Amino acid sequence: MKRLRELLQRTWSSLVRRRDEHFSEEINEHIAMLTEENIRSGMAPAEARRQAILKFGPVEAITESYRGQQGLPVLETILWDARHALRRLRRAPAFTIASVLTLALGIGASTSIFTLIHAVMLKSLPVRNPGELYRMGKEFRCCFEGGYSQENEFSIVSYDLYKYFRDNTHGFSDVAAFPAGIALFGVRRAGGAEVAQTHAGEYVSGNYFRMFGINPYAGRMLTPEDDAPGATPAMVMTYRWWRERFGADPSIVGSVFNVDGKPFNVVGIAPPGFFGDTLRTAPPEFFLPLNMEPLIEGDADLNKPDTHWLEMIGRPKPGITPSTIEAEMRVELKEWLRSHWSDMDAGDRAKFPAQTLYLAPGGSGMSSMRGQYGRWLQILMIASGVVLLIVCANIANLMLVRSLEGRRQISLSRALGAPASWLIRQPLAECLALSLMGGAAGVAVAFVCTRLLVHLAFAPIPGFTAVPIDAAPSMPVLWFAFGISLVTGIAFGIAPAWMATKVDPIEALRGRTNSADHSASFSRKALVVAQTSLSLVLLSASGLLITTVRSLEDQSLGFETNRRMVANINARLAGYRTAQLPLLYRRIHDAVGAIPGVSSSALCLVSPQSGQGWGTGVWVSGHPMPGPMDNNSSLWDRVSAGYLEVIGNPMARGRGFSEVDRAGSQQVAVVNEAFARHFFGDEDPIGKRFGKDPEHAGQFEIVGVVKDARYVVYNLGDPILPYFFLPEAQAEYGEQNLGSLFLHDMVIVTEPGATLSLSRLEQAMATVDPNLPVISFGSLENQVAFQLGRPRLIAQLTSLFGVLSLVLASIGLYGVTAYNTSRRVNEVGVRMALGASRQNVTALVLRGAFSLVAWGFALGIPVAFAAARLLRGQLYGLNPYSPLITIEAVAVLAASALVAALVPAVRASWISPSEALRTE
Amino acid sequence: MNDKTEVQQGTLALMVLKTLDVLGPLHGYGIARRIEQISGDLLSVNQGTLYPVLLKLEQQGVISSKWGASENNRRARFYRLTASGRKYLKAETSEWEQTAAIIGRFFAVKAEDLR
Repeated sequence: MKRLRELLQRTWSSLVRRRDEHFSEEINEHIAMLTEENIRSGMAPAEARRQAILKFGPVEAITESYRGQQGLPVLETILWDARHALRRLRRAPAFTIASVLTLALGIGASTSIFTLIHAVMLKSLPVRNPGELYRMGKEFRCCFEGGYSQENEFSIVSYDLYKYFRDNTHGFSDVAAFPAGIALFGVRRAGGAEVAQTHAGEYVSGNYFRMFGINPYAGRMLTPEDDAPGATPAMVMTYRWWRERFGADPSIVGSVFNVDGKPFNVVGIAPPGFFGDTLRTAPPEFFLPLNMEPLIEGDADLNKPDTHWLEMIGRPKPGITPSTIEAEMRVELKEWLRSHWSDMDAGDRAKFPAQTLYLAPGGSGMSSMRGQYGRWLQILMIASGVVLLIVCANIANLMLVRSLEGRRQISLSRALGAPASWLIRQPLAECLALSLMGGAAGVAVAFVCTRLLVHLAFAPIPGFTAVPIDAAPSMPVLWFAFGISLVTGIAFGIAPAWMATKVDPIEALRGRTNSADHSASFSRKALVVAQTSLSLVLLSASGLLITTVRSLEDQSLGFETNRRMVANINARLAGYRTAQLPLLYRRIHDAVGAIPGVSSSALCLVSPQSGQGWGTGVWVSGHPMPGPMDNNSSLWDRVSAGYLEVIGNPMARGRGFSEVDRAGSQQVAVVNEAFARHFFGDEDPIGKRFGKDPEHAGQFEIVGVVKDARYVVYNLGDPILPYFFLPEAQAEYGEQNLGSLFLHDMVIVTEPGATLSLSRLEQAMATVDPNLPVISFGSLENQVAFQLGRPRLIAQLTSLFGVLSLVLASIGLYGVTAYNTSRRVNEVGVRMALGASRQNVTALVLRGAFSLVAWGFALGIPVAFAAARLLRGQLYGLNPYSPLITIEAVAVLAASALVAALVPAVRASWISPSEALRTE
Repeated sequence: MNDKTEVQQGTLALMVLKTLDVLGPLHGYGIARRIEQISGDLLSVNQGTLYPVLLKLEQQGVISSKWGASENNRRARFYRLTASGRKYLKAETSEWEQTAAIIGRFFAVKAEDLR
């Protein structure tokens, strides 16, 4: 306590004024009193004063130690260095501003990428003690699993299994459950005139908020009492939705909302910042109790013990290790499975011994975005780090020039006895001052960039809440910026500091020296070589990524996108039963077709490149059963009449669907060429039959083959997969639980020159059913472009970094060449006097510059290839070692190096020999 | 700084505090004289070394200082013990006595006592 107080006092007096004057007065008084006493004891006045001074001791030394005690010498030195550095920087404003701006760019870019990495990959959920939480499942799995066995690990559970775990696991103080996938609901305020709008919501177990330790912002959170069959339906809103959609209206709490037509009481508002259990691009806007699921869903999953759709996350009791709970739960899993032995099929029983589960830290949530964005954030982080390195090299270069200019002064200081440590401190302090200023400016740059990036990278789906990522710098981000500022400052400060110690004191006496900066010129050359090679790495990486995106964009889609619009509907949310669907589809088709400007339309399960796909196994009638290693999977789509014409997918053979294909007639299918090749090889597929399970291998007769088209994008680099179409008219509408009966997408072709607005479409849809909202609406072109958005964004950002590095490296080369030329004016003069031509001189300078560039290439090309290896996963099958791209990168770099070196080279060739020889 | 002077610095601080405790507010010269009278030659060479110690004690908040007039009507800085200083002195005194007692007992022990 006393020590701390002393430290604070000393820090304070270091920073503010001190009271030296008073001390010397105190000393004088002391000596005067001693003198008086000596006189009283009989000494002569002069002798009395001499004795007094002797007795007091060495005044200078005591004053010095008094001063040392007053402040903190270390702190004072730092302050002095900082003041001195700032003064020196103020005297070179152009240098300072240029350096701070370049640093701000470099640090800003890195900080901005780090902000995203922090938000997506590192940050914990905004809940109480997130580090304590554990979730079940190591890998991310979505969204449904059926039966009584799961591959590798049991990671999602049925409600029955959840209850078994919840009631029997003693290690957890609380364990909550919620669906693995997010659901959409049609929501409107009860009593209002507005139509229902689609919003994301989440079913959660009653103890969800208690487990996370979330306290209400207003009202109350859901409780286990709300999550019981027969309880009054209750819902909790997120703060964001409440504020943005309802203007923080306090009367919302206690009001009733219709969720898919069922009334729910809003009991409370979750606190600001809480976005649920998982960072998603479209987070839920409200929470409902799990037990309300049967109220809303006609085909409820809640009470099916073999439908696994819930994630689990829990908080262990204090002192209980996760491995204890894991062991406990593994036993419970086996117990539960055994209790369902009679429901299990042979496959499940065979896999029973291998069933196990794992717990994983759950503090950062379920991380659906981590998998999606982790890899490309890493790439961008590396790219921005490389730019920062090049920035460092540039500033180190400038600093070296400055230190050469300051040589006279340094050697004079050395000659006067300044220790080396003192000489190192000066340039280091200057560099740190620069980098910290650059860091401060960089934080501002990062703020702007991050907002832009969040907007571009996590483009919100229209109508949905944006991703809950805050661009404002948080504490960890500020620390990061401060940390890299310090590191960069030291990085580019080391060379000049080291140079300072190499200065020979004798130089001060000798005057101008030409030869002394040998090591300095080597360092500067080395820096340019490093810059060139790093820039080459970035350029070739961005070349690879751009080529990838371009080849993806250029590949023929196999379907038409112009004049095509896609609308998304959800009849299931509007409460339709499967038997009502055929009539609904016909009415939609007629209503949309009646809109002026619409030439045709068709409905489908999934529209091209919507980011979704339905898969199934295929069994061909008359072919041997596929073995366990055979791939018999295919993608498929259920479409209404005329879909293939609407989408513009041309037939290769046979016919498309027609009026003949009605309910009750022979079920037919149209397959793509990949399907025909994969399942029939050289056989003619027309007239052959296949089915979606082995018992119905003869269900569908193939009547036509369409040309291959790129309908799914997750495997862009691979050949097109087998795909088949089934006509909606022949669908099994008697099956009430068949999700594939609900056609979500509508493709509309407009007449040339006509446009279709959302409001016009909504009007038409309202004539069919006012409770059936259009969830999203846009052109097929945009839908296709959106799928390529992420690779395109990485490619663009990497190219931006590449261009930045190119400019910086060129500036570095220009600086070194110009400086070297200016030091060689004499030599040039002599050469010209001896008959060298202008061309000779230009070539001489260029040769010097290009020897550096060549070294840069020699070092950079292997690194570029290593970097390409890292990128391989993002290239969709493109050869990462493409020599063409490397050559292009080399050419671009060489061209800009030529420009950078040509300026000083030409200037050197204009030197007049007589003048050159006179400048000594 | 060797061990001996460190010990002396500590003891010097204690002496200052005790002096202020006994005599009340006092200027540097007065403190130096008092310590000299009692301790003999400990401070006889450099009275000035007292001042850094006084400053440190003031920074620690165990003493405080104020400018005033001395007996001979000179301007002088008067040091006084603060409340926390008094508490600190008390604690230090008992600790010191304890240490002294233990050391004293150790030194009193003769070889034959240990047989």
